[in-house]
Amino acid sequence: MTTTDLARRVRDRIREREPLRERVRQLETEVQENRQLNRRIAELTDVVTELLIPLEARDQDRVDEVLARFRAGL
Amino acid sequence: MSRIAAAVVVCDDGLLVPPEATPLVVEIDGHYVWSLTPLRDGRPVSGGVRVPWPDALLPHLGGRGRVRITDAAGAAVLYDDEVRLGSGDGALAVVDRSGHRLSVDKVGHLARSFSATDASVRDEILAGTRRAIDDLSEHAGVAAYLNYGALLGAVREGRMLAHDSDTDLCYLSAHTSPADIVLESYRITRALRSRGWRVLRMSGGDVKLLLPLSDGRVCHIDVFAAFHVGGTFFQLGNRSGDLPRESIVPFSTVTLHGHEFPAPRDPEAMLAFLYGPRWRTPDPSFRYADPPAGVRRLDGWLRGFRTEMGRWTELHTGPRRRAVPRGPSGFATWVAPQLGSLPVADLGTGTGRDALWFASSGRRVTALDFSRGSLAVVRRRARRCGVAVDVDQLILGELRSTLLQGARLARDPHHLHARHLVGCLDAAALDQLWLLARMALRPGGGRLFLEFAAGDPTPSDGLVRRTPVDAVRRAIEASGGVVEHLTTGPGEDMFDLPDPAVCRIRAAWPIPKETS
Repeated sequence: MTTTDLARRVRDRIREREPLRERVRQLETEVQENRQLNRRIAELTDVVTELLIPLEARDQDRVDEVLARFRAGL
Repeated sequence: MSRIAAAVVVCDDGLLVPPEATPLVVEIDGHYVWSLTPLRDGRPVSGGVRVPWPDALLPHLGGRGRVRITDAAGAAVLYDDEVRLGSGDGALAVVDRSGHRLSVDKVGHLARSFSATDASVRDEILAGTRRAIDDLSEHAGVAAYLNYGALLGAVREGRMLAHDSDTDLCYLSAHTSPADIVLESYRITRALRSRGWRVLRMSGGDVKLLLPLSDGRVCHIDVFAAFHVGGTFFQLGNRSGDLPRESIVPFSTVTLHGHEFPAPRDPEAMLAFLYGPRWRTPDPSFRYADPPAGVRRLDGWLRGFRTEMGRWTELHTGPRRRAVPRGPSGFATWVAPQLGSLPVADLGTGTGRDALWFASSGRRVTALDFSRGSLAVVRRRARRCGVAVDVDQLILGELRSTLLQGARLARDPHHLHARHLVGCLDAAALDQLWLLARMALRPGGGRLFLEFAAGDPTPSDGLVRRTPVDAVRRAIEASGGVVEHLTTGPGEDMFDLPDPAVCRIRAAWPIPKETS
């Protein structure tokens, strides 16, 4: 095999892997998007658990108080 | 033994130093300001290694003064001479507005180090740190231990490190799901606030406690989550790797300047985890080498809502703020005749120029921004102008903040005014802007007034990026909004400098008709 053939073969191999590299980049982005759901879940759970009990009791004064306290505690 | 090496040059661009892999210490005017490791921080040039000044020092490098460069122990002097830097003729000194000496800390910020702190103030810091540990234990239900520089100082030298500038606490969470760790951090924040602490949230897993000191300074006590996920140990800031629970609990005890603190069970193992196997050798220029995979995980799990907060606070507390005009923007004067009697919420209020102008005619105004620097400016200006403005924080990107402000504005209907806010938001925060608009505007019939730089974003955009008009229109409509007015043409940027393509939108969020 000549040096030129060898160089061509290496170049072809690198080209073949380009789509794979792009796929890995996309997968990394998608994984990161999923990781970000952790904070979203925590934020929603925090709001719901702090507010649900007074809402369930239909206690408007208590809801107002909890909202004010929650806002101050963010 | 001292020596003066001719190879060292100090100039406006930085330092030319010998190509060494060991740390050097820089003093200006007889005070420590910075530490560097030439081969790590600089680039090889003819005659040595060129190390640029750190960005944080640049504003202070104008004038004449003595610069001294030594090895870490101060035994070998590489440079000691009078220099003139920049164009100033004043005295070269790195100090804050009150004259307190500052130095560059290990994350590149200017801070006041313990070497420049009186013993009595140091005691205040240590007593405050102890109080934080007690409050975390008794009121937040987590056991915190002393860590990072304070632990290193206690174990290696029996005192605070001279070049350290704060104290750091960690708590080992029992949780192994990042969502639960964030929730725990929220509960901790509430508990500490109820104990009177001023708390700043830095991520879903760490907060800063602000401890006012008798010398007028405010010391930061960091409270970091530490946890195991899938066998890997994570500890905020950005650390990750192998460290078993048994190295941390049950705690041991260390003493610092007469104050007792809980410490990891095996402090040496923790210090090797943090600073590597050579932690016993002093290195004031130390920088962490965190595994990138661990940083990616921590970024994804816990961060994202305050990525640019520091840059905005810098703008609002620095000289560039003066470049923002004081009077109303052209956009605000276009919006004003369309407002009727409803109050206005100015989202991303910045310097408050428009909020204060709306309020000056007696209109009820809420000024909202995510930057505490901005909120302080608006409060100060409102007080000086004698106008009433309700100033509050809104962090688009933190859903709790968006939902709370949305609920508040739904009960107390406002118009929403947002000039050059769209271009400051990432995709997640933009989604929350539309959520906020829907919550706030449906019940009361107010309108969203938007102005933003139109077009595709480019790498040369600054803090305010261009945004495609179609993308904004589609997002408004997808969230139930109706675009009533849309124009794109020449306008002004946030400094009122000409911009060839500025989009103005007025949108409403009508109540959907019942389908049943």
